[in-house]
Amino acid sequence: MSDAPILELAGVTKRFGGLTAVSNVTFTVPVGELLGIIGPNGAGKTTLFNVISGYYRPESGRIVFAGQDVMGMAPHTICRLGLTRTFQLVKPFGSLSVLDNVMIGALTRLPTVSAARLEAERVVETCGLASQAGSHARTLPIGLRKRLEVARALATRPRLLLLDEVMSGLNPTELAGMIELIRRLHGEGLTLIVIEHIMAAMMRLARRIVVLHHGEAIAEGTPAAITQDRRVVDAYLGEEFVLAQA
Amino acid sequence: MLGLLRARRGAVILFGLAAVVPLAVRDAYFLDSLVLILLWGALSAAWNVAGGYAGQVSIGHASFFGIGAYSAALMVTRFGRGPWLGMLVGVVLSIGAGFIIGFLSNRLKGPYFALSTIAFSQVLLIGVSRWRGFTSGAEGIPVPFRPGFLTLGLGHVGWVYMALAMALICFAVEVYLERSRVGYQLAGVREDEDAAEALGIPTRRLKVVAVTLSAALTSVCGSLWAQYIGFVDPTYVFSVDLSVRFALNTIIGGMGTALGPFLGSILITSLETYLRATFSGVKAGFTGIYLIIYGTALILVVRFVPEGLAGIAARLRVRRAHA
Repeated sequence: MSDAPILELAGVTKRFGGLTAVSNVTFTVPVGELLGIIGPNGAGKTTLFNVISGYYRPESGRIVFAGQDVMGMAPHTICRLGLTRTFQLVKPFGSLSVLDNVMIGALTRLPTVSAARLEAERVVETCGLASQAGSHARTLPIGLRKRLEVARALATRPRLLLLDEVMSGLNPTELAGMIELIRRLHGEGLTLIVIEHIMAAMMRLARRIVVLHHGEAIAEGTPAAITQDRRVVDAYLGEEFVLAQA
Repeated sequence: MLGLLRARRGAVILFGLAAVVPLAVRDAYFLDSLVLILLWGALSAAWNVAGGYAGQVSIGHASFFGIGAYSAALMVTRFGRGPWLGMLVGVVLSIGAGFIIGFLSNRLKGPYFALSTIAFSQVLLIGVSRWRGFTSGAEGIPVPFRPGFLTLGLGHVGWVYMALAMALICFAVEVYLERSRVGYQLAGVREDEDAAEALGIPTRRLKVVAVTLSAALTSVCGSLWAQYIGFVDPTYVFSVDLSVRFALNTIIGGMGTALGPFLGSILITSLETYLRATFSGVKAGFTGIYLIIYGTALILVVRFVPEGLAGIAARLRVRRAHA
């Protein structure tokens, strides 16, 4: 494994009119890391994902994925390079079956439908969706839709997977299952960036966390260090969180 | 192969009947209806490629139909060459026009796209109507009948097989889109473009390909139609009515299903031919009645079987499997 980071962001800035949604964000992600990104609503977390995955073109900065400058590339090109993202507001192919959803992801790497179907069956199994494989995606409850979102992205065989709030809206059992799945993927060597609101989940998953506030990365460090950081407490966690942790 | 035929039982029966019937029935009126059912079915299937499979609902497909019809007619009347060459020219022109429309689909979504396709067909309508020196303008062009395969001067039976061949080509394209890699990717584009793009699918390129393919098939049908009917005029071949007809046959039959457009065509075309015959002449006031049928059929389908006639068949199959 080389020491070169798989993803490098340098001074990335994205503006919408007068609003700076992502402001001068810089960080690198080494191969094999599970990086967490937290921050209050409107902090620019999803915008950052949209910028990295090619949906928005930033005004300035540099985004290098696996040694290649990906700025200005179309999202599908970036995905083919090995960087896949999920959507916070899940976007299932509603009238297709769960298996077909995942198979469409697998077709990005595989030339034939039959090979992609086999791959999809495997991924569906891994993600615990096997018993729903034949159901229409739109009939799934939200917990399973989030899983489908992950499964479909996994089928594209990413080297870096961006998960946008795949744990929010889940009940405790589903949440535990999702944490277990993410851990397993990470254990198998997948590099991940995870956006999440649920601090407790984040503390259990990430070794390193970047905190966004008003589009700026105001802190970066281990979960323990983050919770002690004055700016993070003021901006996001609040005094009560710190007291509860103590 | 056998498995495919079994899975497509409905199609085998329908197209098989269409192939056998002309051997037994020689009634001109009946054969004429059959040709029209097959041609309108093929046209609706061609529309389905863009509207049903790729989710790009066009209400301007008469553009391509008209381009095909005029190319064939003009090649015969102005240049004294065969209609097949005209058909080829029509396909080339339609690919160009389809490319433009496909490009528009990357800029405009849903209703805005649909409106732009109407505008496109209206531009062609006005252009062809005004260019009197070349196209004879609004008067239209009678296409001379010269017997023979190369001149597409066929008898009724010959036309049934010609229309059947075209229907089978369009049907085969649809089946391919249901089973192939690109077909699944197009389904992704139709269901959610952003998600498809995130999964590595070149959504913009695929949409252009689908619309262009649909345009080319529509154009070929248009050329055949011009030779069959023997007359083209701009107000008909570029009309919104016609574009709506392709869309409605497919919606009523079942969008994104291979057999749907043909089922829709059987229902609508046969009703229309029957009612036109029944209410013409003495009761000439009823000539527009097929429009009322369209409206009624559409309302009934959207209310009771939003997935179309093909959906009814699927439901019955499920019920039988459970019984």
